[in-house]
Amino acid sequence: MSLIVFVGRRLVGAAVLLVVLSAVIFAATAVLPGDAVSAVAGVDASEAQRAEVRAELGLDRPAAARYAAWAAGAVRGDLGHGFVGDRPVTDVLATRLPNSLLLAGLTLAVTAPLAALLGLWTGLRGGGADRFVSTAAQILAAVPEFVVAALLVAVLAVWLELLPRVSVIPLGGTPLDVPHALILPVLTLGAVGLAVATRLLRVSVADAAATPYCEAARLNGVRGVRLAVRHILPNAAGPAVHALALTTGALVGSAVVVENVFDYPGIGRELQLAVAARDIPMVQGIATVLAGVMLAVLLTGDICARLLGAREGHGR
Amino acid sequence: MSRQIDRRAFLRRGAAGAAALAVGPGLLAACSTEEPASDRKSGPGSSPRSGGTLRAAFVGGGASETLDFFNGPSALDLVRARAWHGTLGNLDPSGPDGVRYGVLKGIDIADDLSAYTLHVRPGVRFTDGSELTAADVLHSLSSLAATSKLPVYRLAAANFDLAHARAEGDLKVVLPTLRPIADGRMILCQGNFLVVKDGTKRFRKGMPSCGPFRLTEFTAGQGAAFERYDDHYGHVPHLDGLELRAIADSTARAGALTGGEIDFAHDLSPVTARTLGDNGNVELVPTKSPYLVGLSFQMNMKAKPFDDPRVREAFKLAVDRRAMVDTVFYGNAEVGNDLPSLGFPDYAEGLPQRAHDPERARALLKEAGAEGMKVTLTTGPETPGMVEMATLFVEDLKKAGVRASVRELPAGQLYADFPAYTALPLVGSYQMPVPALSTYQMSTAGGSPSAFGWKESATDTLVAKARAESDRAEARKLGTRAQRTRWEDGNQVLPVFKPNLNAQSKGVRGIRDDLFEQFPGFSQASLA
Repeated sequence: MSLIVFVGRRLVGAAVLLVVLSAVIFAATAVLPGDAVSAVAGVDASEAQRAEVRAELGLDRPAAARYAAWAAGAVRGDLGHGFVGDRPVTDVLATRLPNSLLLAGLTLAVTAPLAALLGLWTGLRGGGADRFVSTAAQILAAVPEFVVAALLVAVLAVWLELLPRVSVIPLGGTPLDVPHALILPVLTLGAVGLAVATRLLRVSVADAAATPYCEAARLNGVRGVRLAVRHILPNAAGPAVHALALTTGALVGSAVVVENVFDYPGIGRELQLAVAARDIPMVQGIATVLAGVMLAVLLTGDICARLLGAREGHGR
Repeated sequence: MSRQIDRRAFLRRGAAGAAALAVGPGLLAACSTEEPASDRKSGPGSSPRSGGTLRAAFVGGGASETLDFFNGPSALDLVRARAWHGTLGNLDPSGPDGVRYGVLKGIDIADDLSAYTLHVRPGVRFTDGSELTAADVLHSLSSLAATSKLPVYRLAAANFDLAHARAEGDLKVVLPTLRPIADGRMILCQGNFLVVKDGTKRFRKGMPSCGPFRLTEFTAGQGAAFERYDDHYGHVPHLDGLELRAIADSTARAGALTGGEIDFAHDLSPVTARTLGDNGNVELVPTKSPYLVGLSFQMNMKAKPFDDPRVREAFKLAVDRRAMVDTVFYGNAEVGNDLPSLGFPDYAEGLPQRAHDPERARALLKEAGAEGMKVTLTTGPETPGMVEMATLFVEDLKKAGVRASVRELPAGQLYADFPAYTALPLVGSYQMPVPALSTYQMSTAGGSPSAFGWKESATDTLVAKARAESDRAEARKLGTRAQRTRWEDGNQVLPVFKPNLNAQSKGVRGIRDDLFEQFPGFSQASLA
């Protein structure tokens, strides 16, 4: 099967899945207890005022009709307006999603090479260094994000005063205007991802190193970096690529803790706020787009893994 | 006065005016006050210092924040609007009518209380040079406020016939009342009523405004930047500029303050505020009465045994209010007396403070046959301190022999299903600072769902009579009588009023002078 056919089939599958997911998300918002009326009209609104607001928001229509209307708009790129503040959902996505993608991308850029390095080193070396790194990674993976964040703030921002405590981004600017403000969020998110990826890589590197194929390469005089990069990494990277793709995709929408602690303007907190306010168009729009991002990242991961696999097949 | 008009006429003449603006903001600030004695005490060389940009941080409302403050529910939406637009007025206990007027000169009330006449202050100018007239006030009231869904504007709509307001000439707006009321100034001049230009439909950067600052930058969920408006009515701000930031997390706001990235942090959690106590560079500036949020518990009179007044009284006597103030708010709060609106002119000051008497509570419960009753208190983290208060209340109730427990809902859920909420037997709640009687009429009278089964037409009539009484002493007497029935028989336990725990860098001054502290204004603020 050629790569193009593979990608095509995966794309069609992802599109179908996205439609299904959007319906599931809508169903989830429908079963949430309560509605946006309290958030919009205030908690002490009278019954008549509530009914009026409910009608104005279109909440008095049946759920299926509301979903159909939403889906018809979404196909044309119109995700509707939020109940609270009446902002177009696409506006909110356009300002917040790039920030989240940037944060996830930077985290990946830091994590992937480091994890490869540490995974190779510990997997090939074994011994004391392996035990040390592996234990450290295990502990790091077990520590909750907010604790990591608090420790990093205490050391780097409060004690050593190297970095700002919160990411105050200039108005009208992007996080890239203040690169130093990105360091703490990226370190926090990277720490956990790095620990998990390192553990996974270490195991598969050790497995790959023990294969007869590597043995043969080594007997033929291939050693050191060349052995690691040409012969072991391609065989060992598969599971780690998938794990990294999963964590990176998830990072885009669920870095809420880090967004809160460092006041980073990402999309995760918007989703959280929208859920708390029962702002259905906002929840629906953001969640669907995040599902799309996740599918895209997974697809990329699949393609990478397949390319690695293909290379393995031809390389022998 | 005439000198000032000359200056304005001069300034309006094109380029020369622009040049003068560019070179002389300090000069303008020094000579443009209409009421130098009351508004500014600064003489040459004395504090407060002019200039600088003050940076303040608030919770914010995320990317759904809006410039349209008539439809923006977050505190920051209103704070931003206060900096940007002129106001009808603010509550001011020391003012002659209990208010300090903004773009108004005064409000007259018809003898039969059927209409209010708003007198526009002459000479107020928008940033586009045009003069503020009755048409602008009318548009803001009858087109924008009248269609708003926010509670504060609904309070006005419940008292005034906004749709039938009319302008008489350029400087007069006549506002008919829906029923005779004498306390309408307090509703119109709560600080929320801001004025935009006639015909405004969309709110955007660059639209004409007449507040102390003009908006230069706005990113929803992130912040807004302002520069001083040198032709602001009354007085020109000391600050050159203002930056209002959204930082959602309380600890992060405090961190930005101690790190010097902001000069003012709004509404910190009690614990965060406490950690700032020993920091030499910042000071805590909690809001003062009446700008306090009431934290309360509602007993549902439709549910047994709360239909029995003895049980309700027992629950009120069981609370250790002082302990709540001390342990939840580290002393930074006021003890409540089971009535909302502490500090407002119509609050019943004269009633005795309810005692903490667990013995009497136990006896009352026994008398009512509710000894060892079981009850679940439902609450959620809707505002800092709510859940902690509920935990303490349940402990107090246990001491009075009630088998009580707390059910904590996730953030945002408590009020989301309102009919379910109003059917619960015992719930946590909070009250924003609003006048006592008009709010009672809007949300408690007539057996409204948020009254939790309280339905007393005698009290409702008394409140209506108190509000329709022009004689202040008599109105006060009637109002206190009405509130006494709530105090004695009511179904609300209101043990604590908490301030917004704001903090600022040492040397920041004048924020409190702008009144309406809950949504701070910066027109009189200055930096160290």
